[in-house]
Amino acid sequence: MVVDPEQSPFFKDRRAQGCIVVRELPKFDLESYISNYDGPTRILRLRHIGSHSPYLAVDAYRMAISQAKEGKNVQLYTDLVEQFNQIAPDDPLATKDDAWVEKKKQDVKAEGERLNHELRAYKNNLIQESIRMGNEDLGHFYAACGDHAEAVRAFNRMRDNCTSPKQIADMNLRLVVNYIAQSAWMAVQTSLIKLEAVGLRPEEKSKLDPVISACYGLSYMCTGNYLDAANSFINTSSSFMTMEPVGGVQWQREVISANDVAVYGGLCALASMDRNELQTNVLGDSNFRNFLELEPHIRRAITLFCNSKYSACLEVLEGYRTDYLLDMYLCDRLSVIYGKIRTKSIVQYFVPFSCVTLEEMASKFGTGDENASIEDELAKMISTGLLNARIDLVDGLLISPPTNLRHDVHSNALAMAEKYEHTLQLRLTRLNLLNAGMSIKPDKSKEGGPFTPGEGGYAAL
Amino acid sequence: MSGEVLQLAQSYQLEFAKCDSNQKYHYAALRLAQRLASLTLTSFKKGAETAQDVLLMLDPSVHTMVYAYALFARIATAPSTSTASDSFRPGGNIWKLICHFLENADPVQLRYVGEQWSHIVDFVASMARLAGTPEAAIEPILSALYRLDPNTGTFTMAHLCFVQLCVETRNYAAAEPILANYIHAVNPSIPDLVESLEYSAPAEDHDSSAEYIKAGSGHAGKVTIQAVQEYYLLGTTAYLGLRKFKKARDFVEHVLVMPYSNGAANGFLIEAYKKWLLLSCLVDGVVPPLPRSTNNAAMRAVKAVSKAYEALADAFKNRGNVRKLRAMINAGRDTWLEDGNYGLVNELLDGQYRIFISQLSQTYSAIPISKISSWDATLESDELAGYLEKLIREGYINAKLETSSSKPEMGVVLRFFMDAREGPQAKSEKQQQQALVEQTQRTQKLAQQVQSAHYRVGVQDEYVEYVVRQNKKAAATAGDPMDLGQYEDVEVAGAAMDAHDEDLMGD
Repeated sequence: MVVDPEQSPFFKDRRAQGCIVVRELPKFDLESYISNYDGPTRILRLRHIGSHSPYLAVDAYRMAISQAKEGKNVQLYTDLVEQFNQIAPDDPLATKDDAWVEKKKQDVKAEGERLNHELRAYKNNLIQESIRMGNEDLGHFYAACGDHAEAVRAFNRMRDNCTSPKQIADMNLRLVVNYIAQSAWMAVQTSLIKLEAVGLRPEEKSKLDPVISACYGLSYMCTGNYLDAANSFINTSSSFMTMEPVGGVQWQREVISANDVAVYGGLCALASMDRNELQTNVLGDSNFRNFLELEPHIRRAITLFCNSKYSACLEVLEGYRTDYLLDMYLCDRLSVIYGKIRTKSIVQYFVPFSCVTLEEMASKFGTGDENASIEDELAKMISTGLLNARIDLVDGLLISPPTNLRHDVHSNALAMAEKYEHTLQLRLTRLNLLNAGMSIKPDKSKEGGPFTPGEGGYAAL
Repeated sequence: MSGEVLQLAQSYQLEFAKCDSNQKYHYAALRLAQRLASLTLTSFKKGAETAQDVLLMLDPSVHTMVYAYALFARIATAPSTSTASDSFRPGGNIWKLICHFLENADPVQLRYVGEQWSHIVDFVASMARLAGTPEAAIEPILSALYRLDPNTGTFTMAHLCFVQLCVETRNYAAAEPILANYIHAVNPSIPDLVESLEYSAPAEDHDSSAEYIKAGSGHAGKVTIQAVQEYYLLGTTAYLGLRKFKKARDFVEHVLVMPYSNGAANGFLIEAYKKWLLLSCLVDGVVPPLPRSTNNAAMRAVKAVSKAYEALADAFKNRGNVRKLRAMINAGRDTWLEDGNYGLVNELLDGQYRIFISQLSQTYSAIPISKISSWDATLESDELAGYLEKLIREGYINAKLETSSSKPEMGVVLRFFMDAREGPQAKSEKQQQQALVEQTQRTQKLAQQVQSAHYRVGVQDEYVEYVVRQNKKAAATAGDPMDLGQYEDVEVAGAAMDAHDEDLMGD
């Protein structure tokens, strides 16, 4: 019996918890999409897709589980199987392979002990290079087991035994990978700063730069700093797509793919830049153009925005909403990013007009949310100061208020002068009382004699 | 024999007439004051209640000093106030003479009889209260204040007494002209040494009343900081009575910025802070930061006992939640009643709605009023129209009510004027310019008064000592060039310091 995954207890739970569950079919093909990734990222992405899209859940979990079984992360395997069991209990992969689990656990334990033992031996021998490598092996081992906190600790211990800038750079790169896996974005940024400061030879540095800017972009995006994220992504050299592994990590496959750079960079730019900036910094950037060619619809959306075809731009983006919701980094931020783009489109759309009917606005932009009318959305934008306009509910118009600079300057001057006058009066009162030696005193608060000099009064003036 | 007094009055009338300079006038006035002080009280009373009465024979506008002494003597020797005869009471003969005196006295001569003047004013107030008609004293005291000082900017106890009477009788409008003349000096004093150096007799033509109503001149009475606090709080009440909330808020801030040493606070401050919270809500919709130069420690103490009001202000800020505000107002009813703020607290309900309406103008240019009542059901649409009209009339919103000709089904529509040059609140550029010019003049005058207050501070012994100490400190911290900015602050300090040094040499 095949159960519809959407009705499975797993997705019911998810919906009850208010998590995002994507009903629509995405545009991408799972096989080819996931073939872009390697290593733990691949499993994590598969799990994200599996847990968000009922249509792809079965395939995604199957792939994830079979890959997890090749690795050392027993916890990840058991989690995946448990989740999959709730979706498709009859699937052969949905039952836990206890024998494998037991064996793997023992293997892992033995390997951990062996590595720790080796490290102790190296420490006794006091050979710097061996200690460094011992710690490095241990870090890799923990990372493979999914214990990133322990891995970070092991890699950090390498620091004392690093002898060349190259080694320090490698160590920091590994820290970055592990922090990204933990979603510790501030720590990612700190490690990146340290990485930039390492004095490498120019040719090595040039290999490192694309990695640094791509990781900066990712961490800025995940901390909600979209403008910096956009700039970091745009500055990522196109050599990122084809580069050799750096620090033993194939970044474009194990962390963030070139397609991701294009999508993230394009969306962040749309959310944070104005039309001119988009035209010159994004479309006009010969380097970033290479990335955009991987995702032509992002380029189309940006071009449409620059050509003031906002509704078409939003339509394109809306078409890819499902795809982006199935991206593990975009998922939680997509509504914010789309919201920003939409708000900006409305503001930009309104700029050349002095008056637009609300119907026209509604037909151009639809309603972002089924429950809210375009009026409410506009009213909210006006009251938060994003849009300088007034709504005429009677004739259904959005009106740009007349500006009268001269009048405004005059009224501002008057208001300021009044405020100044009042402040001056307050100061005068205080000055007079201090001068007369009057103040309320703690002890004799009932009489406060008229001619007692105020202590330290002048210093307080 | 009253003849003695009359003779004195006449001889000095001639002498005053002969004076061709203010300085000579000053010395003549001093001599007269000395002569008058040496007379016994009874000598003024001779012939009282007859045609030979000094008070009837003399003209208060000419013989002001003599008349003040005579009135003073009459009041002082009158039977105790509670048994005072009818002639002292409002409407009585003496009362009329006193009023005539207060309204017509010579302003320059008044400067020499401060003690008598303040005593007479006190007497008027207490008599009016005694007779059960405190309002009778308002008019005479008002003219007394104006007669002495057309600007009424130097604080005297008569100010307090006047505002007390106004608030007592709920005659708030009468208090307004005095309240509007902000206080620019309180007990002004400069050291004798400085005073003798620069020539400043009371009889001179002064720009500021602070030059002749001084700590020692007797006009002000025994001014205490509590009196000043009370004056500002009562003034706040008066403005509240007139529903001028912004003015009231500005006024109450004076109490907040007064010096409170070592974090001491008193009841006046607590009351002021509570009123300030409520008024800020009504004026701005939110509670702004406290004015600068409030004493942090004192405010901490005050805030600790004003939690209920802070909660109320918080509820007010959260517009669209009328129910919470109403519930809080009801729950704290006893507290507000006890503090005498019940009326003001109730005003918040209206205020919240008013701010809600006036903020609509930031978002909308026209709304059917049925829509407003659907958002906030405080008022039904038919009541709302009347309410909005009232707001428009009172100038809270720049809008008009109309019925849309194209869409009559919308009903009555509130249409805001987006251009500030249209609508009932419109101001033409000319009006604005006029307002700016007036403001400039006011500020300039204020700056002058600040300067003279600054000057008075600059010549105080304590201040001079402070500057000397600072100089020593500056000299001690190595030979870096002296910070001149510090001295620009007090240009006079240098001069005063010289005087101080001379003083030391003389010793």
